[in-house]
Amino acid sequence: MKYLNLKIEEINKLLKEKKITPTILVEEAFENIENNKELNAYITLNKEEALKQAKELENKEVDNILFGLPIALKDNIITKGLRTTCASHILDNFIPIYNATVVEKLKSKNMIIIGKTNMDEFAMGSSSRTSYFGAPRNPWNKEKISGGSSGGSATTIAARDVLFALGSDTGGSIRQPASYTGIVGMKPTYGRVSRYGLVAFASSLDQIGPMTRNVYENAILLNAIVGKDDKDLTSAKKEEEDFTRFIGKDIKVLKLAVPNFFMSDIVNIEIRNKVKDIIKVLENNGAKVDYIDIKYIDKAMTLYQIIAMGEASSNLARFDGIRYGHSKENPENIEDVYYGTRAEGFGEEVKRRIMVGSYLLSGENAKTYYNKALSIRDDMRKELTNIFKDYDLIIGPTTTTTAYNLDDPMDDPKKSFMDDVLVIPVNMAGLPGLNIPIGFDSKHMPIGMQIIANAFEEAKIYHLASFIEKELNLKLDPKGGEHNE
Amino acid sequence: MKDKLSKEEVLHVAELARISLTEEEIEKYQIELKELLNDVEKINDVKGYDDDILIACWSENTRLRKDEAKEMLNPKDVINVAPRHSGNYIEVPVVISDGEGA
Amino acid sequence: MSNYIATVGVEVHVELKTNTKIFSNSINGYGEMANSLTNVVDLGYPGTLPTLNEEVINLALKAATILNCKIRREMHFDRKNYFYPDNPKNYQITQARTPIGYDGYVEIEINGEKKKIYIEEMHIEEDTCKSAHRGTKTLLDFNRAGVPLIEIVTKPCMESGEEAKLYLEKLREILFYGNISDCKIEEGSMRADANVSIRKSKSDPFGIKVEIKNIGSISNVALSIEKERLRQEKMIEAKETFKPQTRRFDDKLGDTVLMRVKETGNDYRYFPEPDIPFVIITDEMIENAKKTIPMLPDERRKLYLEKGVSKINTTKLIQNRVLSDYFNNLLNEFTNFQIASNLLLGDISGYLNKTEKTINDTTLTKERFIELINCIEDNTLTSKNLKEILESILTSKKSIKEIIKENNIENITDDSAIKEIINKIIMNNPESVNDYKNGHDRAIKFLMGQVMKETKGQIDPKLAMEILQNELQ
Repeated sequence: MKYLNLKIEEINKLLKEKKITPTILVEEAFENIENNKELNAYITLNKEEALKQAKELENKEVDNILFGLPIALKDNIITKGLRTTCASHILDNFIPIYNATVVEKLKSKNMIIIGKTNMDEFAMGSSSRTSYFGAPRNPWNKEKISGGSSGGSATTIAARDVLFALGSDTGGSIRQPASYTGIVGMKPTYGRVSRYGLVAFASSLDQIGPMTRNVYENAILLNAIVGKDDKDLTSAKKEEEDFTRFIGKDIKVLKLAVPNFFMSDIVNIEIRNKVKDIIKVLENNGAKVDYIDIKYIDKAMTLYQIIAMGEASSNLARFDGIRYGHSKENPENIEDVYYGTRAEGFGEEVKRRIMVGSYLLSGENAKTYYNKALSIRDDMRKELTNIFKDYDLIIGPTTTTTAYNLDDPMDDPKKSFMDDVLVIPVNMAGLPGLNIPIGFDSKHMPIGMQIIANAFEEAKIYHLASFIEKELNLKLDPKGGEHNE
Repeated sequence: MKDKLSKEEVLHVAELARISLTEEEIEKYQIELKELLNDVEKINDVKGYDDDILIACWSENTRLRKDEAKEMLNPKDVINVAPRHSGNYIEVPVVISDGEGA
Repeated sequence: MSNYIATVGVEVHVELKTNTKIFSNSINGYGEMANSLTNVVDLGYPGTLPTLNEEVINLALKAATILNCKIRREMHFDRKNYFYPDNPKNYQITQARTPIGYDGYVEIEINGEKKKIYIEEMHIEEDTCKSAHRGTKTLLDFNRAGVPLIEIVTKPCMESGEEAKLYLEKLREILFYGNISDCKIEEGSMRADANVSIRKSKSDPFGIKVEIKNIGSISNVALSIEKERLRQEKMIEAKETFKPQTRRFDDKLGDTVLMRVKETGNDYRYFPEPDIPFVIITDEMIENAKKTIPMLPDERRKLYLEKGVSKINTTKLIQNRVLSDYFNNLLNEFTNFQIASNLLLGDISGYLNKTEKTINDTTLTKERFIELINCIEDNTLTSKNLKEILESILTSKKSIKEIIKENNIENITDDSAIKEIINKIIMNNPESVNDYKNGHDRAIKFLMGQVMKETKGQIDPKLAMEILQNELQ
């Protein structure tokens, strides 16, 4: 019996009735991971500790729906006592001495951390190929990428190893791999989830979010990880709410906007057509859909490059071989500690971005690039927020293409940004955005649709996403064989 | 517009970033960095924005912390994760020049 | 007389007196075991984020008020990026664009004239860790990392080392009295750097700026500025050129030495700190800060002089904040403040120093102190007698009168009783009386000594002398 293939409510019922134990679920998860080993979804497994924890839970009351369920964490989320590498050589032996706030929250729900998932090094990339540990493979086609940077988390969910994973999204790093692998991935509103313990890539953009098989489970996991955190000044103070509350409601009330930019020829025609099909379905069910222009949306990538690389150059300065992490052996002097450690420890993409970021902040450039970007970003956020005076949600494709080949060339430094051109605007404005699978392309690779809401209106996103999910009823298990296409 | 950075320019940013580069890397980055920087120039096409800057997307009332001490680390834990240490101190090769900071 | 005018600006870093660090809740302490006052935030561990200590904002607002600064109502922090082993994140969180205070001044008195030293800006930032050099190694202690600092930057408005010294003394006094910092230069809780340039006339552009760092005392600030001024004069006179540079003051040499020449401006790559959203300074925060500023030295000085305290006692009282605070408590009472200050600075200070106590450790309440002052004023107690019972006064809760009584030292204040004793002595010492009458002044001192001996000192000497002189005539 494969318990982890059941719906969460069913698993919870079995646990409550003591028909299964958390140990059975954990063992099954590790078995799945072992069977899918070649997908390279994990950097570190937490086997011993997870089994120990599962055993301890056997005597506890099943007090919530997430009780005893295994969860995978992207390897840039700090876990006390469990190696956290950010997929980088510079941290490949780093064992943290504290827990991220989200980890504490998961523990308070008695969830079991099963392992740390593969990713682009320091979350810099869009294919997870910049990982020091090699790229994860797409469960739909092992020759294809899973996307990135949360590629490992997307892979393990798509492969049905476990029900739950957390990713992080700085410029699409949850939604884009979710789209490539046919899963549900949510980037919550900036400030919804504490960043304390998320290794910073670009502080003003980073956000942790849930990656799951379906919409309901996504909302359930989001319920568990949100909340104001005194350790993170950018975390938002919001009343508790149930993100599942609009799930299953009809969509007649919804007014939707489709940015013309999202449906322009930068997007593959198969994807555009699929999105158009969905729009028809939505209209047929009473939703109102308009095509609109949004100022600055086509400039988001440029702003992103400046802000993300600028912040990254500063955030990654702390990896210097002095207090923790990799350090150059037998350094000649202090400069050798810095230069040698960082040359050895960082991969190409990270080096490139740190150098460009340093350049963009240096001397007069701070004014010409960085400060200007902060000003335009402020305007862009206002523009995007304004849309929501007239519309409930913005929809469009998540990506311009479906997952491409693992062995496609990596020598174009702009490629990794281009992959994220449709997902980046959300981060620039701090808005919530979600990927929902809407079908497959001609090569049977998943296509995703992005749903964007005003700040702190994640519940509205789940509302529409659950409708689409139910309406399409796609077969999203790569090993499930048949699909409804 | 020239299609690559000069060697000196690459070395300058490598110095800011404290990364040593091989000759091949320098050559590679002369092109790659320039490509990214050309891309970034597009920001100059944007017009008509105001001077307000965005630091955090959603600012609420300033949250200040009470001035109360909480648990601290055991020096042993601090030392154990450090690559080089001596006694209770973290150690680095001798720093000859002065501090630049505060 | 020099042909050149010096232009001096001073940057001061002051550690704030808080319980915890600026961006983390570990203890702000000094002199503890290495790396024992740290947490994951101070060490810049991956994933950690800053929080902002409210007391830092409060103290900075107090400082801004005291320094007559305008206050920035909407401020943010900036990252100053540079690699250095004492800088855990390799960026320092500081305020480059929106310092909390700006456009202020401090008033000093130089050669009897008042002068305003203008403050360009004052901002909040975090301290670095402490490094010690041992042979081929440098050892790092992160206890100081994240200790809150304010940096106070003057305009280049001073013209001599003396002015800089007076400014620093004034600054130390008011920040100390404001309860903002310990201002202990020897422990590094106050640190000063000076910028010095010279030019021939005020209409000339500023000369080449030399920065002097790590000056260990206020008097050395004055000295190093004067030495630097001379060095620059000599070089210019000899037509030698020099570059902007950083020098440090060497205690042993008593002169400045070159640290480094500034090739180009440092590239600190400042940008707004994204981990700390805008901080809004409310009216309430400013009011709260102002309300709790203790009375500052200038006001104390004025009040003490008005209350009849001598200039010298005023100065001495202000040098000891605990005594001065104690003294302030009396100011609303009717009493003899000169006697009060004499007592505090004299016998009482002597006792406190000997016993290593402060005035607040004694039993001398305001009420008992006023009783004591009255006893001295009406001669119930002579200063000699006071010494005998001082310890009881400062350690028991009994009234002063009771203590006097218990110790059998009642002063004889009845004129007729004194007369009787004096006449007895005159009768018993005819020779001395004769000597006195023949003009030997020393004789009266002898007779006076006899009077004091007979009365065991329980008599007001002035009064006794008066009566003795009368009786001898």
